Amino acid sequence: MAGASIAKPIGVFPKENICSIIGRPMTQTDAALATALETLRTRGLGLRRGSEAPSLDRSRPSVPTGHSSLDAALGTGGWPRGSLAFLDGPAGSGATTLALGSLRATQEAGGLAAWIDLDGTLDPAVAARLGVSLEWLLLARPHDAAEAVELAAWLGRSGLIDALVLDFGERDAPDRRALDRFGSLLARSGATSALVLAPKGRAVVGSVAGVRVSLRRSAWLAVGRDLVGQRVHATVDRHRWALAGASAQLDLWFGEGRRIDPLVASLARPLEERPSLRVVSA
Amino acid sequence: MTRILALVWPELRAPEAVPAPFARMLDALDDLSPRVEAVDLGVALVDVTGLEPLWGVERRIAARAVMLARAVAPLTVRCGIGDNRWLATLAARLARFERPDAPAAFRTLTREELRDLPLTLLPADAATRQRFTLFGLTRMGPLANLPRSAVGAQFGAAGERLQALARGHDPRPLVPRRRPERVARGATFETPLEGIGSVSLTLRRLAAELCDRLRVRHLAPGHAILVLTLEDAPPLRVEQPFPQPALEPDWIARLLLSRLEAAARVRRPAVRPQLSCTNQDGLSEGPRPAGLDSRLSNLRKSTTEEPNEPRIASVHLAFDRLSDPATRQLPAFEARAGRWEELRWSLERIRHRFGEGRLWRATVERPTAGLSEHRSRLVELNQ
Repeated sequence: MAGASIAKPIGVFPKENICSIIGRPMTQTDAALATALETLRTRGLGLRRGSEAPSLDRSRPSVPTGHSSLDAALGTGGWPRGSLAFLDGPAGSGATTLALGSLRATQEAGGLAAWIDLDGTLDPAVAARLGVSLEWLLLARPHDAAEAVELAAWLGRSGLIDALVLDFGERDAPDRRALDRFGSLLARSGATSALVLAPKGRAVVGSVAGVRVSLRRSAWLAVGRDLVGQRVHATVDRHRWALAGASAQLDLWFGEGRRIDPLVASLARPLEERPSLRVVSA
Repeated sequence: MTRILALVWPELRAPEAVPAPFARMLDALDDLSPRVEAVDLGVALVDVTGLEPLWGVERRIAARAVMLARAVAPLTVRCGIGDNRWLATLAARLARFERPDAPAAFRTLTREELRDLPLTLLPADAATRQRFTLFGLTRMGPLANLPRSAVGAQFGAAGERLQALARGHDPRPLVPRRRPERVARGATFETPLEGIGSVSLTLRRLAAELCDRLRVRHLAPGHAILVLTLEDAPPLRVEQPFPQPALEPDWIARLLLSRLEAAARVRRPAVRPQLSCTNQDGLSEGPRPAGLDSRLSNLRKSTTEEPNEPRIASVHLAFDRLSDPATRQLPAFEARAGRWEELRWSLERIRHRFGEGRLWRATVERPTAGLSEHRSRLVELNQ
């Protein structure tokens, strides 16, 4: 019972009960405090007592991944808002391309996106070629991993960024407590979906993230002697708000995202081994 | 009939003049008339129509204007009064000082007096003046007497405008300047507050009250000045331009609070107690007593580790640069544009928190360049 009462917002307590909570007779200051709290509650500032764990906000649509098969595999129609999603895969497995595709889909749906680039490795020209509108992309370049998480938390707290990519590059991920705080803040905000790219921080990020998708290349895609893309097997290893275990097959085209010519796409054939072909890409 | 007073300060017209006192002179002239126009640096027009019953004859009105302006800066001034801005300005130009050390010169000018004045006083270019001379026109009277169609045929529309001036007609109205407006509110705490963060609710309340006052006038602030009076330190004053004019007290209060925290972080080392051995006159007293050095070093260490939070006695918030609230119109065109404008408030706070060089926007310059750094260009936000 006590836990249930703690989880209630402050404003639901009537004025006369404030003192019963504090445990002393009501004074003029208490009355003023009650009035102030009532004012704050009516203005919708969302004051809460204790550490109430917010649930997933299902009133807003999820952030699209850019691939309908992955949207279906996730079970939530995309990256759930207010969640930390970890794209787990070795270098070259298409995590960056998938993240850029998600930003493109978010922008096409009218959203704002941000990319936190710790190593400064994001090439805006490649992002633009993959369909990301640079006009609506905020690029942040923090100095270290801890600052990257704090900056991401500030952006998430604004509630105005729909999709946010936290790219640690080759740096080590920050400590687990910082990521935990970031995750809980995202959940409270309920507006932003954060995708984390951290090849060196699998253990830490993987345990904190609410959604974990592992990426594994299953085949190369070639047209004649040209290598034009790769086929990636994405498995939802962990999902806090839906059933995990589903998988999807994604065709990631080099340098063109999903805007590949349909004729070329239909001609592409999967190859198990990487042949000695020339790569047609950015 | 309109009567305009022109004031020309020759010292302010000089190329190396300092423009600072001119704005304050215009503010002072507001006490004479509500319609004051700043034509250029050192030239002001004042609408004095109907002021005779209040201040007396026109010469006395001009004397009062001179007195108000000289209270700001003791500069010599030429005054001229006429029916329109052309006559008033020309009168001020022709005014002669009665004695060399006189602070002001005064003259009125009527249309009839224009007739004998030389054409060189007209604002014409050298070629037009030369053509006037070729036609035998040297005074304003003969030019004014010519038919307008004939002047237009020879000199075009510019000639017609010059002829209108020679006749003493000037259709340009006086456009009074909009005096910079500022709204302000303050709060004093009987028990001083501990720490910068404790003023957040007060700050929001003050911002909300000012926004409510401006909302009914359909105005929004573009700039805020916040002054915290501290108990044991000089006042903390911050100025913060807004990303766009807005009537959002929450955004404004949060932004100001982050600006305050940034200012307090910079200032904190300066407000620490000075640990020097000085006498009452502030002079060094020479060798310190035994044991004092160690005690001072301990005190210095403790103050370095735990700087004192300032105690705030009062808060004063002022809004200026008032204009139409822009943010309310943006979503009508594109919802995302409105959200981006709203995001700029958060980005400004992030800039206060983390410093420069963190937030960028990218543009593609040369998509086919070989090196990635040549393909795109980063532009820092808030620049």
